Amino acid sequence: MGWKEAAEPVLTRMPAVQRPEGHVPFKRKLTWTAGILVLYFFLTNIGLFGMESGAGDDLFGEFRAVLAGEQGSLMQVGIGPIVTASIVMQLLGGANLLGLDTDDPRDQVLYQGLQKLLVIVMTALTALPMVFAGGFLPPQQSLTLGGFTFDQTQIQALMFTQIFIGGVLILYMDEVVSKWGVGSGIGLFIIAGVSQKLVTGFIQPAEGGFFYDWYRIFTGQVEVGSLVAGDGLYTLLLQDGHIIALFTTLLIFGIVVYAESVRVEIPLSHARVKGARGRFPVKLIYASVLPMILVRALQANVQFIGQILNRQTGDASTIALLGRELPWLGVYDSQGQPVSGFFYYTAPIYSPNDWMWWTGEVAQQAWMVMIRISVDLTFMVIGGAIFAIFWVETTNMGPEATARQIQNSGMQIPGFRQNVGVIEKVMERYIPQVTVIGGALVGILAVWANMLGTIGAVTGTGLLLAVSITYKLYEEIAEEQMMEMHPMMRQMFGKE
Amino acid sequence: MDRGQNTGGLMSSAGLVRYFDSEDSNAILINPKTVIATGVMVGVLVQLLTFVS
Repeated sequence: MGWKEAAEPVLTRMPAVQRPEGHVPFKRKLTWTAGILVLYFFLTNIGLFGMESGAGDDLFGEFRAVLAGEQGSLMQVGIGPIVTASIVMQLLGGANLLGLDTDDPRDQVLYQGLQKLLVIVMTALTALPMVFAGGFLPPQQSLTLGGFTFDQTQIQALMFTQIFIGGVLILYMDEVVSKWGVGSGIGLFIIAGVSQKLVTGFIQPAEGGFFYDWYRIFTGQVEVGSLVAGDGLYTLLLQDGHIIALFTTLLIFGIVVYAESVRVEIPLSHARVKGARGRFPVKLIYASVLPMILVRALQANVQFIGQILNRQTGDASTIALLGRELPWLGVYDSQGQPVSGFFYYTAPIYSPNDWMWWTGEVAQQAWMVMIRISVDLTFMVIGGAIFAIFWVETTNMGPEATARQIQNSGMQIPGFRQNVGVIEKVMERYIPQVTVIGGALVGILAVWANMLGTIGAVTGTGLLLAVSITYKLYEEIAEEQMMEMHPMMRQMFGKE
Repeated sequence: MDRGQNTGGLMSSAGLVRYFDSEDSNAILINPKTVIATGVMVGVLVQLLTFVS
């Protein structure tokens, strides 16, 4: 008996959101999407019961932009568990260790169940260290409710329960949007978080807000040094002027929208109907930017381990295991940031202040910074390419799957025999190469945007994700509207 | 016709979680309204508890 038979009773019974019967009108879809979005924002504003409000450090730290959610709220874990579970599924699926055939209906049910179970397990695994490792979510000193006084461990257990419920809610909210709304919940939450940060970065009436900082420059509250000597230029470009951050943000927008339109188009013609022609686009960002979340989440998980180990050590700045200090593993400063050791070199570059050693803002030697940049770049480029390949394979966008789809739709490549194998051969010329180049390119873009900084510190990955998800959403809405106008189109797209 | 990627199964735009068309008859089905109602209720409950304590 394989694992499939053993796990089947559990996996097939995982609760799922009902699927709509028949076509959902576009307006209703928008209503569902908006409803979930409002609920999401509502829940990010509900503070955890029993937590010392305003205290604690975010375990997600700089990864918050990508992982969504809000520190200290019911949405504490964000999409973190979903992403981590997805990495596991991708790696297992990509290496074909599961033995699940996603074309077989029974295996599809198992796949869905396994995926859900993994997310729930990951939610617990993410929430546990957040609550119990200390320092991330400090519990209140005492808590009385209806004459019953909770002790610290009970308060922590309460907080854990809330975070866990919040995490499971996120999973089902995503499912509602995927089945009843437009796009997916995960995409929606990422856009929501990044846009909120971006708008705040522009208009917040405090230090760090783009317009407010320029107001301070004009009113002379900020000392802009001599433009010739360089320090004035430095202030304008990188610090209070945010000029480079503004340009990076705009450029990323432009590049993503442009790159979405860069594609190799494979001409198709219908085998029976003369004159019916089509094109199959192999986009440059073919696997889209999504594998990037997975690479970043992998980096994030490494950093989490460092943070948790650091907390265990207490105030000591060097990570200690079993009473032995291990400076090669990681040394942390008073703000909880790694300053040297393994966890420093594997930490991604978040902002210009992390690497511009000539400005004197960086405590490390130039060579240490160089190593960190190259590790980050290598990780993102190679990781981006590898996860893009896995992504293409597991989402049925690979040569074999697309060839079958084209064949099934009755199309063929003009000048070639009408045969799945032949179409697959042609597809193999483009898809793998385009995938690898696209994945690596997105990796470089993300690192580069982080190095130069972005408005509102949304990070390069956050911005790339938000722009490309929005673009996809726009395409999807356009398609929906077309189907609304011409009901016949629904049959053509095979959605009825 | 040039939307080959969209055909197999139902792909969400972020696609981190995949949902297929097939469902097992054993599965417990949740109404989407229940999800929203639960979310609202949990939020309100936690907020109330915070006020009360």
